[in-house]
Amino acid sequence: MIALVDMNAFFASIEQANNPLLLGKPVAITNGLVGTCIITSSYEARAFGIHTGMRLREARQLCPQLIQRPANPVLYAKVSTRIMGCLHEFTPDFEIFSVDEAFLDLTHCQNLWGPPETIGHLIKQKVFDCSGVHCSVGISGDKTTAKYAAKLHKPDGLTLIPPWEAKAQLASVPVTELCGVNKGIGAFLAKRGAFTCGDVTRLPISVLAQRFGNPGRRIWYMCQGADPDKVETSIKAPKSMGHGKVLPPNTRDRNTVYMYLIHMAEKVTSRLRNNAMQAQKFLIGLKCQEGWLGDKLKTTFPTNDSKPIIKLCKHVLHHSWQGQGVFQVQVTALDPHPVKGQIDLFGEDTSKRYQLNRAMDLINERYGAFTVAPMPLLNRSTMPNVIAPAWKPYGHRQTIPDTKPKQRTQTNKKVYRLNGDW
Amino acid sequence: MKFNIDRNDILPPVQTVCTVIERRQTLPILANILIVAEGNKITFTGTDMEVEVVTSIKHFSENPGEVTVPARKFLDICRALPDGSSIELSFNKDQVLIKSGKSRFTLATLPATEFPSTEALGSSNKISISQEDFKALLEDTMFSMAQQDVRYYLNGLLLEMEKNSLRAVATDGHRLALKEIKVQTDVAETQQIIIPRKGVIELVRLLDGGDEKIDIEISENHIRVSKGEVQFTSKLIDGKFPDYQRVIPKGGDHPIKTNREALKQGLVRASILSNEKYKGIRLILQKDLLKAFAHNPEQEEAEEEIEIKYAGEEIEIGFNVTYLLDALSAIKTEQVILNIEDPNSSCLILPDNEIECKYVVMPMRL
Repeated sequence: MIALVDMNAFFASIEQANNPLLLGKPVAITNGLVGTCIITSSYEARAFGIHTGMRLREARQLCPQLIQRPANPVLYAKVSTRIMGCLHEFTPDFEIFSVDEAFLDLTHCQNLWGPPETIGHLIKQKVFDCSGVHCSVGISGDKTTAKYAAKLHKPDGLTLIPPWEAKAQLASVPVTELCGVNKGIGAFLAKRGAFTCGDVTRLPISVLAQRFGNPGRRIWYMCQGADPDKVETSIKAPKSMGHGKVLPPNTRDRNTVYMYLIHMAEKVTSRLRNNAMQAQKFLIGLKCQEGWLGDKLKTTFPTNDSKPIIKLCKHVLHHSWQGQGVFQVQVTALDPHPVKGQIDLFGEDTSKRYQLNRAMDLINERYGAFTVAPMPLLNRSTMPNVIAPAWKPYGHRQTIPDTKPKQRTQTNKKVYRLNGDW
Repeated sequence: MKFNIDRNDILPPVQTVCTVIERRQTLPILANILIVAEGNKITFTGTDMEVEVVTSIKHFSENPGEVTVPARKFLDICRALPDGSSIELSFNKDQVLIKSGKSRFTLATLPATEFPSTEALGSSNKISISQEDFKALLEDTMFSMAQQDVRYYLNGLLLEMEKNSLRAVATDGHRLALKEIKVQTDVAETQQIIIPRKGVIELVRLLDGGDEKIDIEISENHIRVSKGEVQFTSKLIDGKFPDYQRVIPKGGDHPIKTNREALKQGLVRASILSNEKYKGIRLILQKDLLKAFAHNPEQEEAEEEIEIKYAGEEIEIGFNVTYLLDALSAIKTEQVILNIEDPNSSCLILPDNEIECKYVVMPMRL
């Protein structure tokens, strides 16, 4: 028995819960007050046809009384952490799917909490009690059907699809309604005459397997309410760790672009250090009119210090950039791995940099990110951080600083000890 | 140009030169081999601009001349023709016509004048050495060469010549292999060269275990090895090899002595359950006992106990097990000696005889 808990209009609901004046009003969240793109909006606003991704100006035409609120990622992260903490009390078999969604495998705790419907209400009540936010809950026998069920009644809904009814209920549902099946796969299936989940079930599984491999086989099972995917309780090791930022459009000033790159390099390396990881290969990208410029480059030794990466940034600016207008920069650590590991025969002495970084991390840990930062970053962009959908309250996806849960101090001590070895 | 030749005579030299040809080239001519027919000799040349192999066979040609043909296709044709068949090769205008029995092939060509030639070697030092010894020197060290390291000078093998010795050193920054043999050279003072990785691999492929002598010439920018009719030339890496002597530990007070094969087999078994990516293995040294532990992300575990002779303190240390196994495979003696000082310092692995062979492995922090 698997439940999917989906917070309704999460960021907007938090704003409303925190400010009673906003209750029942159309609210739109943007990135700071300068942001013009709507990140999310309250259900009252959605009634006017406003949706995520819409420009503010467009939205105001539909709903002149729309209230714009700047996003407060720190608060959202805090609330999300709190909600996830509450959900975790139901069962340890628990997967944070995104900042406002979680899967709970309730198979082993039905005796504790009661039948599905009771558990569903309990979950909803608990989430509301700890955050003031309503959520929709879908309960079924597998992840995909649970997620589909949660979508059926929004906001504040509770939908049960018993596993033995899942196949029949999904049969007439368009396959692209399922989580993870989008236009690409949808078009592939449509070409073969399969539009609904029922159609897909009638195709031989090999058709999907040949084109998409195991993920293809999974879709075939998903369509009959038998998604084999388990609730993933551990956070998978990251394949990459990166940060990007939007520049004032068409920035041509070398120093400005350079500063943004340093900013991202610092963010990436402090995150690597926070997770006791390092990397040797880095992607450094500049988004220009004609697309992405840049390169994947290697440092001599695996590192989590910004200095060698800034050197790579310089290299990219020098070799890959001809002064075109830049719109966005990106620095990504590829294949990050734990700091502990192979020692190099000819390794250089990095103890000084290590001490410097450690002091900087400790100060920033206490007083907030970038309280202490390299000089060139004095003029860095003040655009606020954006909370990614994949944000998680712990591990390498905890990218919004200042939101450490209480026990974090303890885990940090451990991280430092690991660093100490380095 | 025109000649008739037995398929079995032309196949070996063509195979030899084709090995250096890259599958993808930037210059079209590098996909070709150069065939030069003159008087009583036919010469074949293949190159990738870094490594060049030239070989010749004694054969009379009706018409001397030179041409380049696509290497892979020419080799495939020669190989696919029946054993013992006779091949007639003639060059006309810009095509090569190959006839054999009822088969006919026309191959596109490129002008021989465009084929890149290696510049003259210039002044050089010469060494004459048995093929067997030189091959062993390379084989026992080459596995430690780096692959695509940013420190480009590690992507090759260091040859160091002194008056009475020749030393090979390879390292990828995590482990190092060194072997030295006694040989008379004509160098006045120590000379260091770095042979690029590909050159080393091709050279080893070319050498066989016989004890016939080969001639090595080393100039400022090239190494040339002549073995009978085959002449191998490789450019050298222009770089400064790190000071390897600095990282070779002196033997410690409490060396470990053990049966090489037993240790190797134990580590091989334990390595099955080590992390596939990092290959970490934990060793615990106790009095006359070595314990090896490995585990993987699936929480599967392996534990091995190996009898050793050891009188030092208990030490716990981690290694990439592949590095240990490589060194243990290169050593040929029955007993092997390991020197381990502490968990953060390198481990020295030695054969139990007089041969000057040293393997250094840096530990892992587990």
